[in-house]
Amino acid sequence: MRDIVKLSLFLLTVAGVAAAGLSYVNGLTGPLIEKQILQRKIDGFKEVYPQSDRVEDESAKYLKEPHDPGLKEVNVAYRNGAPAGVIYAVESKGYSGPITLLAGFDLATARITAIKILNQRETPGLGAKATQSDFQDRYRHKSAAAALEVTRSVPTRENEIQAITASTITSRAVTKGVNAAREHFTAQFAGGKQP
Amino acid sequence: MSLINEITKGIVRENPLFRLVLGCCPALAITTSVENGLGMGAAFTGVLVASNIAISALRNIIPESVRIPAYIVIIAAFVTMTDQLMHAFTPALYTSLGIFIPLIVVNCIILGRAEAFANRNPIIPSICDGLGMGAGYTLALVLVCSFREVLGAGTFLGHPVLPGSSPAILMILPPGGFITLGCLLGFLNKLQKKSA
Repeated sequence: MRDIVKLSLFLLTVAGVAAAGLSYVNGLTGPLIEKQILQRKIDGFKEVYPQSDRVEDESAKYLKEPHDPGLKEVNVAYRNGAPAGVIYAVESKGYSGPITLLAGFDLATARITAIKILNQRETPGLGAKATQSDFQDRYRHKSAAAALEVTRSVPTRENEIQAITASTITSRAVTKGVNAAREHFTAQFAGGKQP
Repeated sequence: MSLINEITKGIVRENPLFRLVLGCCPALAITTSVENGLGMGAAFTGVLVASNIAISALRNIIPESVRIPAYIVIIAAFVTMTDQLMHAFTPALYTSLGIFIPLIVVNCIILGRAEAFANRNPIIPSICDGLGMGAGYTLALVLVCSFREVLGAGTFLGHPVLPGSSPAILMILPPGGFITLGCLLGFLNKLQKKSA
């Protein structure tokens, strides 16, 4: 009986010391990690909608109604005080894990400005090529009106996106995410509704 | 002299991956690029040295019957710290290693060294043991990574090395990991048989 008490007290001490160490490191790195995640998002905003002077997270306003579960955030980009574009944060299921990306839309032209993959765990050398600009550029200036489709050959129609060689699943996942944002954009913004 | 021996044994004679065949799971999963191998090796070495120090320092205090739970708590604490430090200071590497940093907790090499070495040796040899085993594991990972990255992606540390040829995608995919590790183990066994 006394043994059990002694052993549990010992384990309790070990766990307590470990917890103290962890909370110290967490206090040290927590703010840094948060700052970094925020900074990456701000950098991403600038890449997908460069002409804005202010970006506001208005998810509470636009994601109230039932929506595609992939849509995580709706950010409105302002220029000279007036809304000029919309930046979506979207999550889509890729080949080996979730892919998170930003998709920017221009209100005036109702076209995609650019997309940017933030996080992914796709196969290096294959699906991970989605993070390279020559793939992301394939989405530039596509119209928000029609659903985007993935094709394995050279695209002939306006709404076609050429897949990454041997990574159709990743290409489809990215396109699915962009399409979710595109549908929401068309329904909420392009139909004459102004934010 | 024996301290140097503690370091070198982990690199050649008792190489954790090639001779003890421990820690295969990350060695198969993350070895798709040399950068991953270096990052995983560094994180692993840090955790191993830290846990060896702690366990060696506590070796006379930890009661025999609860030593395994105590080791696991110590190792898990160091892994979580490494995980957070890497997330804060090396975000790109953190993203590419993904789940395999938390999984260092269950890397059998660390628990293996705690059980086989750190709990019966003083601190200084335990540090040397950790450094040697860490270096050995890192070298082994980088070797596997080199084959897979060069053959599967045509690059080394991200620089193209095989211009004009199309890389064998298979080597980057999971089967390539098994093929590479299998061939390397077979080759090293053959070498050892010859020298024995």
